[in-house]
Amino acid sequence: MRAPRASLAVNGLAGAVLVFLLFPVLVVVLISFSSVDFLSFPPPSLSLRWYRTIFSNFEWINAFLLTLQVGALTALLSTLLGVPAAFALSRHVKRGQNVVNALVLAALVTPPIIKAISIYLYYVPFGLLNTVPGLAFAHTVSGIPFVVINVVAGLRGYDRDLERAASIHGASPLRAVLGITLPLIAPSIIVGAVFAFMQSAQELLIAMFVLGTLEKPLAVKLWEGVRVAIDPSLAAATTSVTVLAILGLVTVMLAGRRARPTRVAVQG
Amino acid sequence: MTVSTLPAYPARSARLKRISAEYPHALGLLLLAPMLSWIAVFFIFPTAWMIWQSFSERGLQPYATILTSAIYLKVLLTTLKICVITTVGCLILGYPVAYVLTTARPSTRAVLLILVVLPYWLDFIVRSYSWMILLGRHGLINQLVTGLGISSTSLPLLYNLFSVSIGMIQILLPLTILTLFSTMVRIDRRLVDAATIHGASPWRAFRTVFLPLSLPGVYAACLLLFVSALGFYVTPALLGGPEQTMISQTIMVIASDLLDWPLASAAGVLLLVVTTSLLVLYSRFFRLDRMLGGMAR
Repeated sequence: MRAPRASLAVNGLAGAVLVFLLFPVLVVVLISFSSVDFLSFPPPSLSLRWYRTIFSNFEWINAFLLTLQVGALTALLSTLLGVPAAFALSRHVKRGQNVVNALVLAALVTPPIIKAISIYLYYVPFGLLNTVPGLAFAHTVSGIPFVVINVVAGLRGYDRDLERAASIHGASPLRAVLGITLPLIAPSIIVGAVFAFMQSAQELLIAMFVLGTLEKPLAVKLWEGVRVAIDPSLAAATTSVTVLAILGLVTVMLAGRRARPTRVAVQG
Repeated sequence: MTVSTLPAYPARSARLKRISAEYPHALGLLLLAPMLSWIAVFFIFPTAWMIWQSFSERGLQPYATILTSAIYLKVLLTTLKICVITTVGCLILGYPVAYVLTTARPSTRAVLLILVVLPYWLDFIVRSYSWMILLGRHGLINQLVTGLGISSTSLPLLYNLFSVSIGMIQILLPLTILTLFSTMVRIDRRLVDAATIHGASPWRAFRTVFLPLSLPGVYAACLLLFVSALGFYVTPALLGGPEQTMISQTIMVIASDLLDWPLASAAGVLLLVVTTSLLVLYSRFFRLDRMLGGMAR
């Protein structure tokens, strides 16, 4: 129906924007495989030397482990707090929804510098500064919205008759939710948790204030790196995290996909 | 609860049902309570504490310092300027992509959505840094420019308003596209077809039917982008010059170099007032679950 020339122009424009969006990603990934020790793009030839460099460096490995600890704790807490809240928002709470929505949104988009200085001043009397849980507790505030948004969206697309069927066959409401609904919306929960992890791994300002300069998670190490060292090891470090996170997501998703039909068959 | 229409519960859930009938909000509150307490303890209380700290030592003096100092006002104006440029740039670039997403076949759409969300997986510090590589004096763009003879000297592409805007637009584009897409995908395409059948040109059908229907998404994206842009720290620090200093950088300097906590808190409170008013505006008009179209769906 549409004139092919106009639709071609729109598609071309969208394609150009996607190139703009993805080109920096390509640059970082390619440079991480560079064989030379200066930043030239495209790299003259490819090698794994920068991956060897960072994975044999004590400081980088420590940064990885610290980021992993903080991120995992953040993802876990965000999921435990966010999933019940998402159920409440999409099923049980009618009045006051706007207030809760606004709070969750504020937790997500309030400027990180505000969260950083306020949590720093607040942690001083509690002795939570310079602790891994202290940082994860603060990161959980920004992790919760990712879980809530994804699970609310997941529940919107979920056919509640499946749960009702379980109830008719004698399951208690709680059992119907745990046995039927949760496995079926698991992909939404997992995506939310992974995004909560990623925002924790990438967060810089709160990490700098809460952990000071003694312990450095990956984001702080990268931040120091981009301002001094000009070699491709940073690109290799950040690409490794990305690959790990994507592999984690894909593994869990595939495992979930294989497990789901049998669980439904058994319990439903 | 809608399950009340169903027959034959065991006694245990009959009690639950009676409780939930007597206190219809009890279950919802119970499920919300852990999250709300967490947000209160680790977000609301610290923020309130910061507001208190901004007044407690020197009263209104920190606020007077900020609002009367030419330097701080200039930073504030620069921040607003960069936020406006970024928001407008994101909308112009994001709209066509979101539009194409709505017209694409489901399989193509899935692939495109993955591509749109892909940059989010790469640390944004490093994404800003990749622009340093591309836009630098000997970067790829300048190599092309001088190599092709467009200009004999390399262009000043880095450490200015241009590079900051490019960097911030690249980081905020996925959010733009997902927000616009989640509105556009709900537009009934038959309305556009109806206009075309009655003789409207494709452009006119788009302008008079599709565009007005997509405006709620544009407004939502506007507010969300502007608030997100207000808080940027890394990108202006890496890609901008001294002229592009944004408010977060200034607060950072006040806190960590000058160690003037009342002043840092007061600047934080002013920033908070702006972001909170924009958020209140947003939540009056838009629902949270529509925000990112459920991230990638």
